[in-house]
Amino acid sequence: MASGPSRTAAEEYRPNRYVSLPAELDPATYDTPLEKRRAEAERLAIRARLKRQYLLQLNTPKPPRVIEDPALLRWDYARTHNVYPTFRPTPKTSFLGAVFAIGPILFWIAAFKTERVSSAGGVEHQGAPGCKT
Amino acid sequence: MLKIILPTIMLLPTALLSPAKSMWTNTTMYSLLIASISLHWLTPSYYPTKTLTLWTGMDQISTPLLVLSCWFLPLMIMASQGHLQHEPHKRKRMFISTLIIIQPFIILAFSATELMLFYISFEATLIPTLILITRWGNQPERLSAGIYLLFYTLISSLPLLVSILYLHTNTGTLHLPIIKLTHPNLPASWTSLLSSLALLMAFMVKAPLYGLHLWLPKAHVEAPIAGSMLLAALLLKLGGYGIMRVTLLMEPVSNFLHYPFLTLALWGALMTSSICLRQTDLKSLIAYSSVSHMGLVIAASMIQTQWSFSGAMILMISHGLTSSLLFCLANTNYERTHSRILILTRGLQPLLPLMSVWWLLANLTNMALPPTTNLMAELTIMVALFNWSSPTIILTGTATLLTASYTLYMLLSTQRGTLPSHITTTPNSNTREHLLMTLHIIPMLTLILKPELISGTPL
Repeated sequence: MASGPSRTAAEEYRPNRYVSLPAELDPATYDTPLEKRRAEAERLAIRARLKRQYLLQLNTPKPPRVIEDPALLRWDYARTHNVYPTFRPTPKTSFLGAVFAIGPILFWIAAFKTERVSSAGGVEHQGAPGCKT
Repeated sequence: MLKIILPTIMLLPTALLSPAKSMWTNTTMYSLLIASISLHWLTPSYYPTKTLTLWTGMDQISTPLLVLSCWFLPLMIMASQGHLQHEPHKRKRMFISTLIIIQPFIILAFSATELMLFYISFEATLIPTLILITRWGNQPERLSAGIYLLFYTLISSLPLLVSILYLHTNTGTLHLPIIKLTHPNLPASWTSLLSSLALLMAFMVKAPLYGLHLWLPKAHVEAPIAGSMLLAALLLKLGGYGIMRVTLLMEPVSNFLHYPFLTLALWGALMTSSICLRQTDLKSLIAYSSVSHMGLVIAASMIQTQWSFSGAMILMISHGLTSSLLFCLANTNYERTHSRILILTRGLQPLLPLMSVWWLLANLTNMALPPTTNLMAELTIMVALFNWSSPTIILTGTATLLTASYTLYMLLSTQRGTLPSHITTTPNSNTREHLLMTLHIIPMLTLILKPELISGTPL
């Protein structure tokens, strides 16, 4: 029973819990899809632009007192302002949002109500609010 | 009453007519004089209302807030000198007069014994605030912040107007001491439920309650320093004050309203404190911290016991001073680094060592360290809530823990750590800033010695 050509040691190698797979041995390193490469190039271009913007401010003959780091501003904008336009409502996110927005409030309402009713002896006290006896 | 309101109104011609050289001095000194005269309001009295006139009067709830609002005008003027110094003179004049215009309205709102007058002055404070934010903010986002502020407040206060008019036709008067005497014979029906909801909602938005708070961080972030101080110290308190006034009218609050509002306020305190832990923006962090503190105030004023009212009063005053101090500190950093992002303004202790003393004091009061009035208030509120229902201690306890952690996070990230490399030169902190911080700290520290002045209970 002739099996196929035996696998090389590099192919046999599997990452274990002590050693991760080096990038050179990962086939995905060499045949990246075109979209991924394009995305990487785009990201590189953005980074280069940001760095250039920063260095232009830094290397002027009279640098400003405070040099703004455009990359940080961009990061902050992405974190604070750009969240909502890029949010995509799916059934899962909508459901989870509803659960986590309304769920705890209903839970605590129920908790307070049961506690107050049980401590007042089964009847909810209707007199002056705040006092239980 | 008039001896404060008239001088406050006459501050306007002072600002508009005084010569360019002495404009700052005149307005600051004059408003400080008014503030010191207003201190006599704190003298104890056995009457339920002091300085009673036909339309205005002050009781124990409004007195501390009135003194606080008189106290803050010179501080706001002093705080805005820094960012206005490159403006032409005419604009400085306009800025000061915008600040001054708000003041009589706030005083009227806190001292009105007539609900309609209260409503009108409550709404009138909105317009100068809007001008402050949309005209004097720093970034283009200020316009959307202004829209949020305007529409959140207006939409919620139209039902208030309707229900005030309904109350007027029902009882024949809107005079608060007389309304208190009339027997509340609202039957337990949907209409009475909705009318009390309408009465509460405007103040819940202003206070703000969690869920209705979205306008506040935006407005705080975009407003100039005087606008932030005004919002944090006075306008939020207007909401809390309104809740305390209105809940007294509609006793007992229906249970349908009790549970949702209390739960929203307490859960909101928890949520906003945890939002603070992930903020990148210093001013937004302080804004969310005030939402969380005001949540405690709302919860306390909803359960309407003596203890909870006095806790809410103490917390309102001490939070007003503390958060305004924090905003001033954030603004001193902003004027030096032109950025509110926490990562960009880290490690300032070696640069501004004296300023970090103020940071430490402000943060310690914000997280309610023992001798401060903040601690007295939080303890009183937590005890009152615990008496109302014992599971609340889980929420209030966790909120306290989170408050301590985000306050420490703010302190450590602004003061400690390595200095960012982009700061080449930093101006020193000057006397004006130190005076500003001192004028915030002095009332905080002295009120510890006599908290019954602000506790809202009859002396």
